[in-house]
Amino acid sequence: MSLIEVSNISKSFKVNKRKSGVTGMLANLLVPKYEIRQAVKDISFSIEKGEMVGFIGPNGAGKSTTIKMLSGILYPDNGKICVGGKIPYKQRKEYVGNIGVVFGQKSQLQWDLPVIDSLELLKAIYRIPDEKYHKNLERFVEILDMGSFLHQPVRQLSLGQRMRADIVAALIHSPQIVFFDEPTIGVDVVGKETIRNFIRELNAEDEITMLFTTHDMQDIEKVCERLIVIDKGEKIYDGSLLGIREKYGTTRQLDVEFARMEQIAPIENVEIVELDALDGKKKRFVFENKKVAINDLMNYILQNYQVRDISISEPEIESIIRKIYNGEVVTV
Amino acid sequence: MRSDTLNLTWIYTKKIMKAWFQYRSDALLRSVTVFLREATGIIVIYFTLLKFDSLNGWNMYEMFFLYSLLFLTYGIMIIFFTGLRDFGRTVRDGSFDRYILRPRGLLFQIIFANADWFAAVGHGGLGVVLFLISAQKVGIEWNVWYAVYYMFAIIGGVLIQGAIFLFLATLNIYLLETSSLKELFYFNMRKFAGYPVSLFQKPIQILMIYVVPFAFVNYFPSQYLLRKDDMQQYPEIFLYLTPVIGIGMYIAAYFFWRYSIRFYKSSGN
Repeated sequence: MSLIEVSNISKSFKVNKRKSGVTGMLANLLVPKYEIRQAVKDISFSIEKGEMVGFIGPNGAGKSTTIKMLSGILYPDNGKICVGGKIPYKQRKEYVGNIGVVFGQKSQLQWDLPVIDSLELLKAIYRIPDEKYHKNLERFVEILDMGSFLHQPVRQLSLGQRMRADIVAALIHSPQIVFFDEPTIGVDVVGKETIRNFIRELNAEDEITMLFTTHDMQDIEKVCERLIVIDKGEKIYDGSLLGIREKYGTTRQLDVEFARMEQIAPIENVEIVELDALDGKKKRFVFENKKVAINDLMNYILQNYQVRDISISEPEIESIIRKIYNGEVVTV
Repeated sequence: MRSDTLNLTWIYTKKIMKAWFQYRSDALLRSVTVFLREATGIIVIYFTLLKFDSLNGWNMYEMFFLYSLLFLTYGIMIIFFTGLRDFGRTVRDGSFDRYILRPRGLLFQIIFANADWFAAVGHGGLGVVLFLISAQKVGIEWNVWYAVYYMFAIIGGVLIQGAIFLFLATLNIYLLETSSLKELFYFNMRKFAGYPVSLFQKPIQILMIYVVPFAFVNYFPSQYLLRKDDMQQYPEIFLYLTPVIGIGMYIAAYFFWRYSIRFYKSSGN
């Protein structure tokens, strides 16, 4: 049995359908109209101990709702969640001591107090023994380079510093499972890299299981091995990061710089894009690698035209994901 | 209470104090402001009674005694129930999700993470001042029994008001915004409770005794000690019911809370 077992969970919300204008407001007050919005539809997955899973989807896809059900904040309408033998929303007190949750959008630190005070409060809340607390604190502060602002009030911290402090706050009690909900939002490039390194190290050394939602594909590429994509409340992909390339990233592109301006005759199954509209020397050939053999295409071009430079590229994971969101890729 | 719960209570309190004293002058001013704000209500009564001698048979000091119970109970209550009073905000801004994620009782966290000691000093301080001014002059001969009665009356009064807060807080789970209900059923009733309940017309009396039982917070306990004539229209047993009603209401509100919490919908991102 896996550490996290999610079977067929669904969750819907009743949303007040508001009309605009003064009459609409009055009508809304007297006869409120509700519509049911299905946030999560029949999602199942399981995660093994020590896995690091990216959980992505467009805004409103149901990511946060799923995380909230997994962490015990919300009850699923249907289906079952079992984490380490416990049911999050039923055995709350026994369960939450073993998980950590970082909400990138919502700090859990005391706004007016130095970071260290929030951590001391957490020490008491989670009943962390002195020795473990100091060991964790020392280690985290060193890796995340927090020594300089540990004693500063949270309100004076930059977003990147605050996020690092929040991550430590979620991990200070040594949870076995950590949920990150957009942990790098609004953080600069260097800060993001620090956070990613920290997460990777923790996963590798302590075997902490992690589930990660983000809109930053770099986060996913650098941190996760496995990806779950959900859209409109449904799971549309679950597999390795490599797999998603193999499955959906079948487009290739060949960028060619010609010695002089060329008019290329149309080639079957290949789309030709002008990269430099002015002199017509640079062109991109886009094609499906299942339909067109790359050897044939290259030979054809090299034999018929004067070529100065040539390069092949795969689509970035980000553009694949964008295509999935846009429904351009038909998922099975 | 287990010792580690006690320890956490202490740490919460320490952190609240520390946070308040980040703005030192504001913290002190807060107690003073609350004291003065509430005292203006008393000053109005003072000037009214200078002109009229008595309200429905209650003279100035008896009115002050009535008021002192209201402020003392509110002062104690507000230490513990500020978090419930502001629970709507806690739900809306998502902080309640965080309480759910911590391995401690939800009510315990709401209460001790938000305890407002400074407002309590303001309200309670006024209660003490009014008590000291009036207790001598209203002709109560204090004995041990009266002191015990008085203590239980205060506990009962705290619980009655706490139960109302807890009940209104629970409604937030369904409604998300209940501040106007709170205004209507709590703060307006509390204004009425500044006067002897017998002064009002029947419908308001029924409201104050049976619906939002503020009459048991200060009127009936004061009557037990003062024995004014207007008590004759109410059953004698009302003099003793305050702690019972307090405990009963609080238990009912607690079960309503326990039942409702599973319908909690997180506010979303």
